Amino acid sequence: MHASLVVSGLRKVYEGSGRRVEAVRDLTFTVDAGELVCLVGPSGCGKTTLLKCMGGLLTPTSGEVLVGGRRVSGPPPGMAFVFQEYGRSLFPWMRVGANVELPLKQKDLSKARRRELVADALESVGLADAAGAYPWQLSGGMQQRVAIARALAYEPEVLLMDEPFAAVDAQTRADLEDLVRRLWRQRGITILFVTHDIDEAVYLGERVLILSASPTVVQEQLKVDLPQERDQLRTRVAPRFAELRTHVYEQIQAAKRGEPS
Amino acid sequence: MTDIPPEPTRPSAWGSLPLRVLFVFALPALLIAFWWLTSDGSTNVYWPPLRTILRTFPDVWTRARLRADLVPSLLRLLAGYASAAVVGVALGTVIGSYRKVRAVCEPVLEFLRAVPPPVLVPVIMLFAGIGDTMKIVVIASGCVWPILLNTVEGVRAVDSVMSETARSYGITGPARMRAVVLPSASPQIFAGLRQALSIGIILMVISEMFAASNGLGFTIVQFQRGFAIPDMWTGILVLGLLGFLLSVVFQLVERRVLGWYHGLRDSSRRSS
Ligand SMILES: Nc1ncnc2c1ncn2[C@@H]1O[C@H](COP(=O)(O)OP(=O)(O)OP(=O)(O)O)[C@@H](O)[C@H]1O
Ligand SMILES: [Mg+2]
Repeated sequence: MHASLVVSGLRKVYEGSGRRVEAVRDLTFTVDAGELVCLVGPSGCGKTTLLKCMGGLLTPTSGEVLVGGRRVSGPPPGMAFVFQEYGRSLFPWMRVGANVELPLKQKDLSKARRRELVADALESVGLADAAGAYPWQLSGGMQQRVAIARALAYEPEVLLMDEPFAAVDAQTRADLEDLVRRLWRQRGITILFVTHDIDEAVYLGERVLILSASPTVVQEQLKVDLPQERDQLRTRVAPRFAELRTHVYEQIQAAKRGEPS
Repeated sequence: MTDIPPEPTRPSAWGSLPLRVLFVFALPALLIAFWWLTSDGSTNVYWPPLRTILRTFPDVWTRARLRADLVPSLLRLLAGYASAAVVGVALGTVIGSYRKVRAVCEPVLEFLRAVPPPVLVPVIMLFAGIGDTMKIVVIASGCVWPILLNTVEGVRAVDSVMSETARSYGITGPARMRAVVLPSASPQIFAGLRQALSIGIILMVISEMFAASNGLGFTIVQFQRGFAIPDMWTGILVLGLLGFLLSVVFQLVERRVLGWYHGLRDSSRRSS
């Protein structure tokens, strides 16, 4: 039942107010059902654009995206999106609990079931007692965890995350990384995770996709052959981890200079 | 990892409650005292001493008169204001949501808004007669513009990320209106409602001055025509008190509905 992602020949050109920006040139890749793939690339290379095309929030100029074999023409059901701008993604007029519950109201669920999902999701991000607070009463890291809880409560088959930890402190970030891995393993969700942090990409992903600088193509796809069981202390000092991150780093440097891999 | 910052207490720049009450009433008290003193020895018929006005007050504003004049005025105001709110918010939401509708409507709206509402009274009288309908239409047609235009602005300004969030979770149509668009526009809508309230009170009085058999505006004009000058002044006092009370009620409602907005503003002000 879990859905795979197929992106083929994706191109996106923004037009308007006399400016024409080719954000994405030609992207082709797949994410298998139940896989966790990290996407890295230089700033402004079109990662958000790609994710929005995949989430059905933007219409590609050409090419297509398939989710579970179905062509995306609008936000597909069963997909949740965690935005880069978490502060603007939560609704400030709703308390945390209501924010998490809102998407569930679109689904055909009983009130009791909704409550249960909200409580479970908040529990799993460590915010069980924040349900009654307003988002603006929380710190940035806590707000982002609420956004993640909202995505989890939705029980998605596919989760798209756009630099979700960019604004949280190092300790919270490590916790959240482990949370994503744990949830991924427990629930078998297909996750595409965008980050600009190379260590994070290698630590989290089963595979790392490296995008080139604009005009954007896939620079390289790298299999992360680290053990399934990862640990903030040991994994990050493993020799293989160092090799992989060095490799990704070199590739990104090459991408910035515009060299092919 | 789970500690929640305490509920922010509103910064009390004015200190304790008694002090605040003092501040709120200081200026009005001063002005009343000024009026009292300057008018005390007045022999001018049109400018009676405040002492006389206050003495006349209970005789004029009996329970029967309040029922006969204040209540009809209030009902008209309420009816006109409420219809303006419903029409303004509904129309404003539609215009604000669709760029094409906006492009067509904007010039017309700007023109209509520029027409001072009181000049509409004679025109509306032609169509709606001189009964309560006319007065309600006059009040509504003046109140609707600030509500409508502010709603359009508020609806237009819905944050793009919030909008996309709603869309990505399949929150569309009426659910989107209710959960996202209207709450997001509510601070602007309330700004419009506040402007409309003072316009409504003005139009209530003016419409009753034209053609009426009861109401505050009618009564004040009657007193003036009958040279009952202190009585006329008491009518003006009643109007002032009414405006004050309505604005207090409005503020209480706003505090409740926009509690989140004031909290958000305070918290971003604190952190910046
Ligand atoms: N709505 C838009 N209209 C026009 N151009 C846009 C729009 N959104 C993005 N762009 C342009 O497209 C390019 C890619 O933007 P995008 O936000 O996808 O990059 P990104 O990889 O997510 O960057 P970052 O790492 O900083 O988040 C940029 O050059 C940007 O200026
Ligand atoms: Mg981005």
